[in-house]
Amino acid sequence: MFASLIHPRILTALALLLAGGGLSVSAWQGPGSAMLVPRIVLTIWCAIALAILIGELVRRVPVKNVKLSPLPLLMAAVLIAAIATASLGFLIPALPLVALTLWLFRIRRPLPLLVGTIVIGGGLWFLFHHVLLIRLPALLTNGVI
Amino acid sequence: MDVILAAIGDAFTWQALLAIVIGTWAGIIIGGLPGLGSVVGLTIFLPFTFGMDVITSMALLIGVYCGSVYGGSITAILINTPGTPQSAATVFDGYPMTQQGRVDEALGWATFASFFGGVLSCVLLIFCAPQLAKFAVNFGSIEVFALVCLAMLCIVGISRGSLLKGLVCGMMGFFFSMVGSDPITGADRFTFGTYALSSGLDLIPVVVGAFALSEVFVRFSARDEEATTIPEARLRFPSWREIGRRLIELVRGSFIGSFVGALPGTGAAAAAFISYAAAQKLSPRRANLGKGEPDGIIASESSNNAVTGSAFIPTLALGIPGDVVTAMMMGAMVIHGITPGVRLMADQAQTVYALFVVLIIVNVAMLILSKPSIGLFRYLFKLPLGFVMAGIVMFSFIGAVSVRGNPLDLVVAALTGILAYVLRRGGYPLAPLVIGMVLGPALESSLRRGLLISRGDFFSFFTHSGIATTLFVLIALFLIWTVAAGVLEWRAKVAARREASSAQPVSE
Repeated sequence: MFASLIHPRILTALALLLAGGGLSVSAWQGPGSAMLVPRIVLTIWCAIALAILIGELVRRVPVKNVKLSPLPLLMAAVLIAAIATASLGFLIPALPLVALTLWLFRIRRPLPLLVGTIVIGGGLWFLFHHVLLIRLPALLTNGVI
Repeated sequence: MDVILAAIGDAFTWQALLAIVIGTWAGIIIGGLPGLGSVVGLTIFLPFTFGMDVITSMALLIGVYCGSVYGGSITAILINTPGTPQSAATVFDGYPMTQQGRVDEALGWATFASFFGGVLSCVLLIFCAPQLAKFAVNFGSIEVFALVCLAMLCIVGISRGSLLKGLVCGMMGFFFSMVGSDPITGADRFTFGTYALSSGLDLIPVVVGAFALSEVFVRFSARDEEATTIPEARLRFPSWREIGRRLIELVRGSFIGSFVGALPGTGAAAAAFISYAAAQKLSPRRANLGKGEPDGIIASESSNNAVTGSAFIPTLALGIPGDVVTAMMMGAMVIHGITPGVRLMADQAQTVYALFVVLIIVNVAMLILSKPSIGLFRYLFKLPLGFVMAGIVMFSFIGAVSVRGNPLDLVVAALTGILAYVLRRGGYPLAPLVIGMVLGPALESSLRRGLLISRGDFFSFFTHSGIATTLFVLIALFLIWTVAAGVLEWRAKVAARREASSAQPVSE
């Protein structure tokens, strides 16, 4: 019984309901004037999320065989690179992210991997940061890297 | 007449024409790269204009602006990733057409509709700018609220088969737009003590995450399947007969874009959604919308490109920039000695008419340059999938962080990408999320200003003015229409099911 509830669709609906509920609490604790519209929006959000959850529980879509995939690794890499940019600048997190993306998409021969990383990661950074002067987050205060 | 002839002479110099070609081509390429849009394009080209004369510099910038709005549709159609938020509505029908092997037709309609919308709005600009500016002034907070409510109805149309999921995504997008300082009182909302969140969530990182990064994740999870290969980009312009069949859709989209663009604070993305909502109700082929119907591309592309012309109405005639892009253009005009405002048409009529002529030439240039530009994308997308996806990740990162220079925008893009992937896997449509985020701020600020005007009496909104009443009546009619169509569809389905079960032979 409990195992059948652990379905991605049910979990997504539940997560949406919980997120909406949590944000609603924050909205109802805030100032009345500024939170007028958020309260309406979040109440509708919660009501719809509840209806979706009930619908998913009633429908009981069969669970597909779960295969192990390196997708979470790519997602984590994107998120870590995004967070690291604030402290390490743009270039340093971008290079390993590009290399990992290429590798995961099966560009695994050393030369294409290296050239791809340098051109896509370093080249685009250099083009925007130094040539077009669209300043991206930098590690050093003088903005060189 | 002499002024117009002199203006044509100003616009047809070799310097201005060269600037138009360079600006438009660069704009198409920049617009086509996910995350990079009109703002980034103008930021790149603005410093180059300092040494140019007024018309040449404005020709370069207008070329970049119009080209980037059109360019966003190329990747929207090819890889389900709108290059700019303005092209988000093009995805609804553009990508299904690509999946059906009709990529040439989809790109052809996107190009022609963009050209048509752009030129029609320029013609309107030349003949009706003062009248449109006067009419736009009649749109106060309550009228804008009614107009945005009307546009919000398109969430219902694009969430066919999963209305509740579409609505919850719409609310999510609306919520994203409310993070940060409250526009009326200045109080912080949902910042949870994080200073960087006070400035709110920008649209570009959310669009980049929702469409570009989630597409990378989707293609990664299905990288062994045939469907992940990107089709070869080709372009086939529609024949005169096909254009004739869809002329009403082209004109309607262009008029909607021209009108919405004249309203300060709305923008091309909102215009595209409003036009798509109108097509859902009025197109004779509305049943096919969302499944690969050219009318959907026409509605989106004709209206968003029509905005590029009419957005100059409040900017030039009233001195009010409608959005970030027109604010940048206005800044460039001031640098070059044009002072937008009510006296502009009287004091610098020749320059203003020259700008209108430049706008028309830019749209013609866009039509001519579309083929070589799409050819470039053809070569880019012929690269192995890994290089294309790594490029999309990099452009998404650059686009997300370059708009405001805030590294938090990168985190927002990454988190939205992961969230969007989970939602897509759960059968949630993503477009309502963007619609909620695009229209949310206008809906909230117009509602609250309207409540201040009416002293808290919401019911007086319905009788505030003739325009407001008309718009609310239209909303009511659309709702009745939608409910009635839903009931009829449901009854037809039930009848068909009954017929099918009665037709089955009874086994004994």
